[in-house]
Amino acid sequence: MKTCEFMRKDLTSVDTDTPIHEVIYIMEQVGLSSLPVLDEDGKIVGMISERDVLRAALPSYFDMLHSTAILPSFNQLSQSLERIATEPAGRFMMDDPQVARPDQEDMQIAEIFLRKRLKQIPVVNEDGYLVGVVRRIDLLSQLSRGGFLRSRH
Amino acid sequence: MILTVTLNPSLDKSYWVETPHLPLDEGEEDRIVRTHRSLTEAGGKGINVSLLLSQLGADSVAMGLLAGHTGQIVLREILDHGITANFVWIEGETRTNAAIMLPNRQAASLKVHEAGPSVPEHALYTFVTKYTHALAHAEYVVLAGSLPPGVPLDFYGRLVTIAAERGVKALLHAAGFPLRKGMDAGPYLVKPDIREQALIGDTPVSTEQEIISAGRHALDTGTELFLVSHHVTGDILVTRDAIWELDARVTLSELRNLVGADDALVAGLLYQLEQGADLDRAFRFGMATALASAEADQKLAHSRQAIDAELDRIDVRKRSAV
Repeated sequence: MKTCEFMRKDLTSVDTDTPIHEVIYIMEQVGLSSLPVLDEDGKIVGMISERDVLRAALPSYFDMLHSTAILPSFNQLSQSLERIATEPAGRFMMDDPQVARPDQEDMQIAEIFLRKRLKQIPVVNEDGYLVGVVRRIDLLSQLSRGGFLRSRH
Repeated sequence: MILTVTLNPSLDKSYWVETPHLPLDEGEEDRIVRTHRSLTEAGGKGINVSLLLSQLGADSVAMGLLAGHTGQIVLREILDHGITANFVWIEGETRTNAAIMLPNRQAASLKVHEAGPSVPEHALYTFVTKYTHALAHAEYVVLAGSLPPGVPLDFYGRLVTIAAERGVKALLHAAGFPLRKGMDAGPYLVKPDIREQALIGDTPVSTEQEIISAGRHALDTGTELFLVSHHVTGDILVTRDAIWELDARVTLSELRNLVGADDALVAGLLYQLEQGADLDRAFRFGMATALASAEADQKLAHSRQAIDAELDRIDVRKRSAV
């Protein structure tokens, strides 16, 4: 099955200059853990995830820690989130994001999910415009439906 | 590609009650009216057009503003219909509109419409950016419905102008002053929503003569098609060359739910125009779509067959505009 047959045609996205507080609000509203970031021509230039936002609010030595025992308190984390609240999404997004094409097969998408440990992948047409998003759950539910159909025949 | 804009979407609740009349003004006690049937559907005029286009197998992109839990339900339904959704999220709650269908009243209903969430200025800015990008891939754009609080009355006019600058034909389907101000920008098609009042701004459009006169005024600003519902089962279309009158051979008792019927008219007409049909065919098909919707319990026509079955019941009269 091709990606365009099971993707969500949801173009919810932010721009490079969308402030972080708005990014968090939109993620919460639409229930997506990451959002495509578009440039001024409306083409996708990055992805910003909950993880990117949290990382931006945590101290830079976070990745070197094996334990969270010496991390700042919840209050401090909240304050540092407040400090970046008006910063633009473009500052913290992941450049050069993994994208899928509408005509890619489901097994190729499953492989990307597994290898890259992603929860969702934006689907982009050949001109670089966003046409949808595919979530792991969309793929799983599609595969399980196909599986049930096969087991019945 | 067709783009639809709904700045004030809604979750449409339809209730069918057995009570012959609603006892709103009687007695001093609270009254309970029990429903024997109810339906919940995503709504708002532009979204209705997208839903019907998807029923006909045509792609469209639905744009606008959504908020809160009701916004999430509306988004889910749009996506479930295979429609591409490109919405700006704002604080608050997308409105819920209720229609209470009364028995033996030929599809008459009591409608309770919320105003919608307040729209901050930055959300409109974000919307205009997305809208401008989306126009690059569009041939037609439908601008439809009421404006939520915080949206300036001339906003439709601005959107019509942006579309015209990019060679995209705008269809404006709205009421009151948002319509009046939007018409100044000369949209390709104007379809006044006269369910509440037969007025464009403060100009009446009840009688045939008033409709033709308002239509001629609209054509002076650059509009090419001016379409108004005239009585429940008739429509008048004013163009530069001709005045078209359509009448459906149906009785009022056949009509079950008028919610969304005027949006179905726009959707059917647009579906045919996008396929390159001539005006006669497009207009007739639009009216058939509206009739099939009005005769269904749910808001919109349930199948292409139901629409095609109406085509033979429509009489078209065309006379020269001069």
